[in-house]
Formats: sequence, C-alpha cells, structure tokens
Amino acid sequence: MFESVARKYDVMNDLMSFGVHRLWKRFTLSLTGLKPGQHALDVAGGTGDLALGLLRQVGKHGRVVLSDINPRMLEVGRDRLLDAGHVGNVECLVADAERLPFADDSFDCVTIGFGLRNVTDKAAALKSMYRVLRPGGQLLVLEFSTPLAKGLKPLYDAYSFNIFGRMVAEDAASYRYLAESIRMHPDQETLLEMLRSAGFAQARYHNLTGGIVALHRGYKI
Amino acid sequence: MPATPAWLASVEALLNRNIEQSAEAAAAARRLNGTSLQIDIDGLKSIRAEVCAGRLALVTGGESAADACISGAPLALFELLKNGMNSQGRAALQIRGDAEIAARYRELIAAARPDFEEELSRLVGDMPARRMSQFALAALAWARKTGRTAGENLAEYLQEESRDLVNKPELEEYLQGVDQAREAADRVAARLARLEQRLKDT
Repeated sequence: MFESVARKYDVMNDLMSFGVHRLWKRFTLSLTGLKPGQHALDVAGGTGDLALGLLRQVGKHGRVVLSDINPRMLEVGRDRLLDAGHVGNVECLVADAERLPFADDSFDCVTIGFGLRNVTDKAAALKSMYRVLRPGGQLLVLEFSTPLAKGLKPLYDAYSFNIFGRMVAEDAASYRYLAESIRMHPDQETLLEMLRSAGFAQARYHNLTGGIVALHRGYKI
Repeated sequence: MPATPAWLASVEALLNRNIEQSAEAAAAARRLNGTSLQIDIDGLKSIRAEVCAGRLALVTGGESAADACISGAPLALFELLKNGMNSQGRAALQIRGDAEIAARYRELIAAARPDFEEELSRLVGDMPARRMSQFALAALAWARKTGRTAGENLAEYLQEESRDLVNKPELEEYLQGVDQAREAADRVAARLARLEQRLKDT
C-alpha cells in the first residue's frame, strides 16, 4: 500500500496535519537524550524525518539506522538523507519491526514515528525494540491516538476520511486505509500497558494536540 | 496513569541533560536512585519526581506513596529551590516523609539548573542567544530601575506635594518634640509633688 504513496508521503503529512507533524517530531527528538557518538534506530522510518534529527544529535561519530519494511519508502528516505549530506554514519535497511535483525543491546535510543499502527503484531514489535535497546536506552513511540475532547472526534473523522485523501492522493484507497488504521490503533492507556508488558520501565505518555497524537516512551533498565 | 504534560517532559529532558553534564548533579542523582519525591503545588496538579538509573523522571500523579512530599504555594517552592531549606519561604511549606530526601532533591535540581543563555543558543545559535540574553538582562535592569524610580516619585508626591504622608526627618522631629514635651510634663509633675510635700511639712 505504501508503494503508491511513498513519493507523496511528506506532502500528505503536511496537508493531513497542517504542518503540525513537524512540531510533533521536533518534540520527540527533544526527548531522545542522545549524545554525540551514540547509536539510534528509527523503525518504520519511511522518508527519514526522525532519522535526520537523530543524525544531527549523534554527530559524525555516532550511528543511525533507518529501517522500514517497505523498500520504496526506504528508498525515498535514503535519497533524502544522502541529499542532506549524511554519509558513513547512517545505514538504511529493509527490516520487519516484529523481528529486528540486530544484536541484543545495540542502540541507545529507538524511535518509531507513525509506524506502530501499521505493524500486525504490535506486542512482538515492542518486544523486538526492547531487545535491541541497551540498558538505560529509551523507546519513543509517536503515533496517532484518541482525541481527548469528544467534540473533536467527529470533526477529525470527517476530515481524515472524506477530505484530505481524495483531495491529494491519487490512490484514495491507500489513504482510507491510513485513516482506518488510526481508528484501530490502541488508545493511550492501552498502548502504555503494552509498553509495560514488553518490559519497559518508567513508561508514560504525552498527549499532543489534544490527544490526536500521543508520544509514548519507556526505558530498558 | 494520567498523561504527563509535554512541558513537563521538556523540563525533564533539560534537567537530565544538565545532570549528565555536571559531575555534582550526576553524583546527587546517583545518591537518589530508587527514591521519589511528590511536589504538591497549590492550585496545580501534583508532580512526582523519581530517580532511576541516575535519570530524573517527572510525571503527574503517582501510583504509590512517595518517600517525601513537599507542598506549598508556587512562590514558596521557588524560594526553597533558590535559597535552600533555610529560606524565608520555608515556613509556608509543608514537608512530610523523609526530609533528607527532600533536601537532596533540592540539591539535585539546583545543581542541574539550566543556564538559559546556553539553552537559547541551542535554538538560535551562540551570537543571537548572547544578544538576546544581553537585551533581556538590560530590559530587566531597566524594569527594576523604572519601578524603583516610580516608587520614589510616588513617595515624594505623597510627602511633599499632597502632604498625605510625612517624610522621615519631619516624623523624627515630631517624635522628638513629643518626647521633650513628655519629659517636661514629668519634671513639672515632680516639682508640684515636691511643693505639695513642703506645704504639708510646714
């Protein structure tokens, strides 16, 4: 499904969120706690928005791995990182979030931005991300969630189902899937419990833009 | 567990960055491993601070009782943070549980206190941050000076123009006059008493 939207993905994100997704990602990056020389993994990183920020944080002596299950999305992300001049300290890898092909305790920080809802077995993905984190490392999950205000939800549904997809995407069915996958995604408290069940300590979440998006985080202790 | 506000997460990230960069703060954090402090601010939600693996976590609410709890007005808490346990605002605060842990958390937060110019430079670069910081300091100094001058002008108007208040020299002169009148009255009373005594004797 992402094959058909890869090239328009960033434009769609801007239109979908009126550009606010940049602030959500910036906030996520502000909480990584990464220092120069450390290693980070961006799971389901797609077009590389978060990976670009992670690269700035770990510097030349650090390492960032951008992974995505979709080669076409990864291709867009890889080209973008190359165009931004990042070579040598970044790897792009086609990988399944449920079975990450890395050794245990490999990364200081793992991020997944707007990717977890597309993973079939979310619990397996969280366990896989926990495994590759180093002790003391942090997982950050940025994802659409359940709006807090009741009046906001019908407006949000009307907008995401009926307007934006048809307006821009050539493949309306793909964007219908995206909108539906947001509805199917666990709410804030459920995802928090899933993080705890996967072994994460100090798990908590931050609602952004009235809960339309939530950032969940937890540490491997 | 309630959601932690985004601003609190930003404060936490800022403090943790400073803890990592300061040997004093890192040592203070290590000493506090596994402990927690609840901060009840009047009119606001409770904030719970926990240290785990040398890292400070700030959350709203909390599922278990904290090792120590500080409650009070925002200004009194700020005064405590600024001046320590012997501060003037100390009386307006309530500390329950382990007071030593509360004092250590204060030391940790004081040691990890951010340098605002440094933080600003991360956003806008060194030179603009320096200029903005200088501008802010100058504006603050101007505001203080203006406030002081306005206060002095108001006092002068009330004392010299409208005469609703007296100035200090006039007040001292008046009080001195009252003292002199009282002493003179006392002397007259003593003389009258002595004269009365003489009349009785004769």
